[in-house]
Amino acid sequence: MITFLLVLHGIFSVFLLGAVTHHALGVFWPRKPGQNDFVARARGLNPMGYVQAIIILYVIEFTLGAILYPTYRVLARPPLQDLQLTYVIGLFEVKENFAAIVLAMLPAYWYFWKKAPEYKTTRAAITGIIFVVVWYNMIAGHLVNNARGLL
Amino acid sequence: MNMSKIASRAFPAFAIGFALYYAPAYSFTGANSTFTWPLFTYFPAVDQWNWGLVPGNDTIGPPMWWYGWIASAALVGLVCAAISLLLPERATEKLWATMVWVVPIVMFLFLWNWERVWFSL
Repeated sequence: MITFLLVLHGIFSVFLLGAVTHHALGVFWPRKPGQNDFVARARGLNPMGYVQAIIILYVIEFTLGAILYPTYRVLARPPLQDLQLTYVIGLFEVKENFAAIVLAMLPAYWYFWKKAPEYKTTRAAITGIIFVVVWYNMIAGHLVNNARGLL
Repeated sequence: MNMSKIASRAFPAFAIGFALYYAPAYSFTGANSTFTWPLFTYFPAVDQWNWGLVPGNDTIGPPMWWYGWIASAALVGLVCAAISLLLPERATEKLWATMVWVVPIVMFLFLWNWERVWFSL
């Protein structure tokens, strides 16, 4: 069951990563008229359309992570400590903390995007924060899992 | 008061209060902490929940305070959200719109600085 949930956690992280990346590209590097190449099409989207999907995917991801956390604490972390792989533990600690703070930002994220085109700076800043945190968490999660999985 | 007027202050205030509590809670929680930062402690090895800050031992295994920090920080966030509704809407509008992203970034930097210890051992 834990392995299934871990795989699910990984799959949903890809969905979330794709959504936040499209969203961030649409905000920070929007497509200009006449641009039709592959990269431009990845940027040419309505950012508002991604907000609800990102919130739902983030909550699913966070819930799966919270369910898996006890197994990590009991089975994965002690061997990392024994092996003195403290930087791996550190990667995970940063991940859990950033994830929690972003979770609490989601209602505000939804609100400020709902109020578009007002609050341009706020919307861009929150979108940027979520983009950085989701990418960091994806990479850190992979590194931690590679160092010591849950089985 | 309509939903939008509540959300314009309560949602950012919740995020700010949560971040302002969570970062020091994580940083200053230890087995000998004098303040009970997490609302509860979970012991995953024995599937046991305890109120407040409880250190682990060889019998019950390692403690998990993460759930407790989130619960405490959410309560602080809700209090901040309630207080924000008592403040004048127009006068604080820009404040919330700015603090909602500045405070989390400052807390991220605070946490990152605190957690550098993991990468230097």
